[in-house]
Amino acid sequence: MEPQTNGLATAEKYYNQYGSRAKDLKESGKKVIGYLSALGPVEILTAAGVIPLRLKGNVSEAITKGDAYMETVVCPFVRNVFDAAVKGRYDFLDGMVLPHQCDSIDRTNDVWSDVLKLPYWHFLNVPHVTDDPSIEFMKEILRVFIGTLEKFTGTTITDEAIAQAVKAHNENRRLMRELYALRTANPPLISGTEMMKVLVAAMSLPVQESSALIESVTKEVKERPSSKDMRKRIMIIGDQIDDVAVIEAIEGAGAWLVMDDLSIGSKMYWQDVDATQDPVQGIAERYLRKLKIPTTYVADGNNYEENLEARFGHMKKYIDEFKVDGVILFIYKYCDPYGFEVPAVKSFIESTGASVLYLEDEYSTSALPRAKTRIEAFLEMIA
Amino acid sequence: MTHYFAGLDIGSTMTKVVIISDKLEASLIGPTGPEHRKLANKVMEEALDLAGLRFIDLTYIVATGYGRINVPFADRQITEITCHARGIHSLLPTVKTIVDIGGQDSKGIKIKDGKVTNFVMNDKCAAGTGRFLEVIADSLGVPLERLGELSLTARKAAEISSTCTVFAEHEVNNQLANGESVANLIAGIHQSVATRVYSLVRKLKIEPDVAITGGGAKNIGLVKALETRFGYPVLVPPEPLITGALGAALIGKEVYEKYTTEGQTPIRCGRGLEEATFFS
Repeated sequence: MEPQTNGLATAEKYYNQYGSRAKDLKESGKKVIGYLSALGPVEILTAAGVIPLRLKGNVSEAITKGDAYMETVVCPFVRNVFDAAVKGRYDFLDGMVLPHQCDSIDRTNDVWSDVLKLPYWHFLNVPHVTDDPSIEFMKEILRVFIGTLEKFTGTTITDEAIAQAVKAHNENRRLMRELYALRTANPPLISGTEMMKVLVAAMSLPVQESSALIESVTKEVKERPSSKDMRKRIMIIGDQIDDVAVIEAIEGAGAWLVMDDLSIGSKMYWQDVDATQDPVQGIAERYLRKLKIPTTYVADGNNYEENLEARFGHMKKYIDEFKVDGVILFIYKYCDPYGFEVPAVKSFIESTGASVLYLEDEYSTSALPRAKTRIEAFLEMIA
Repeated sequence: MTHYFAGLDIGSTMTKVVIISDKLEASLIGPTGPEHRKLANKVMEEALDLAGLRFIDLTYIVATGYGRINVPFADRQITEITCHARGIHSLLPTVKTIVDIGGQDSKGIKIKDGKVTNFVMNDKCAAGTGRFLEVIADSLGVPLERLGELSLTARKAAEISSTCTVFAEHEVNNQLANGESVANLIAGIHQSVATRVYSLVRKLKIEPDVAITGGGAKNIGLVKALETRFGYPVLVPPEPLITGALGAALIGKEVYEKYTTEGQTPIRCGRGLEEATFFS
């Protein structure tokens, strides 16, 4: 592991050469498994001794090969990642795990598996409700997943190893939250663009290296001279936004992105896995009950308002804690789960007094100029 | 000494310039094309000629619209959303909702005390925009400017169910073949655009007074169709194309006045009346 003296530069490097560290580790004999979405149980992959690599696409690249297998009705993010994989970007992987987050993943799983033909493949059948039977089901499917990994790696994954991995990932989350906390300052100690690079780099590294990177970034941004550049403070909500293009559009228009509710951002880092007697219990609870994603239907309140509070209450806390002036809801076209929630999220956030800009866009920079006008008009509106 | 302020609104189809002092000095409307956008300086020159002014007489210049970044000599860029709101508020202070039907997009803007409180823009395609009307006018062989008056002679608006420009054109051609009158078809097309625009703007809570701006406001048939949709009369400014440019000029004036009351001079971009060079 290389010594990290300059965290931001290291993050930038891994952001620009996504997956390069995993590729190096693969060459040195490690196994690398790619996974889609915030539902990928990284603790189990780490416990299995494989390197988890969150899959991403490239917003600057047009889909040219994937369309032969997937119609445009499929989520633009899924199609873009698949296109990258078809073009060979992930050829070095030993396998992939696709969790059942949405129809675009679930109904294309066999296409991915058939076209890519990687040595290991697993579809993780995550349930979509949070009741007790679903927790039992989640534990079962995690055990099945563990079994397939044991078979593939030829080693037993002990509960002890899982507990250790849980600790390592919780520590990783704690460190990331510590870095996020530096964004509550006004102006924030780290820009949204820098933060995006750190988030992307972090999800491409083995957990220990990811933690070392985050620590090093935190140290660096704490020590550098603070800025006096006061701007409006924006939070972004969405699924996998994993490129700086959108963030640069926001910050280039004269705001700071200070917080997110993204699936590679706070959604990944805000909730720890509880250390439970059976370590799989804690993992099941974290991914099913604690992780707030629109595909998981939460209805344990006594009425509609309480359900909304359970689903979006954390966003209110972020707005307060990070002193957010405006919220951008950035939803990919054809994304049903997020699309269903738009009116509810919008009115829920507006009830806090913060303004909301709703953008529906591609996983591509091609439509960004149109979004830019809306972002600029939104900032002029809340100025 | 009189201070003069210019607003340039470079839209996707038309370029608009307004020069003001304490009153309107000149306004000019010309087509935007790939060359025209590059030549924002020429349009500006013409407007200055109209006003009998020189470039150095201008105290502050604000550019807006789709091509706002292509004006090298503008001191500031502001989006057309904010500028339309400002322009309309000065002309029609009772307006709370603006519906702007432009060449390539349509938008709804809510205003309170002259400030934007919410807005929405079409984000899919040409449906509900001026481009839609252009395509249909072309396929019916009717000049765009005559669509409005012709539609008023319709006996019964034809039913056009497609909102997609290409499909609607196809539908119009089919109905023509089946003997439907041109006037009825145009009336049907206006209803279709009005429905599309209404469903877009309805996402904001529409409150009267409603003003219609942009090229669409020059089409009496479309304005009537929108009034039927809204259920009450709408207001149309005397020259609905220039409200964005007017707003830009007014914002320029406000920026200047804000600076001077604070004893400062606004920062100018320092460029002369030159053409954008990054196209070559």
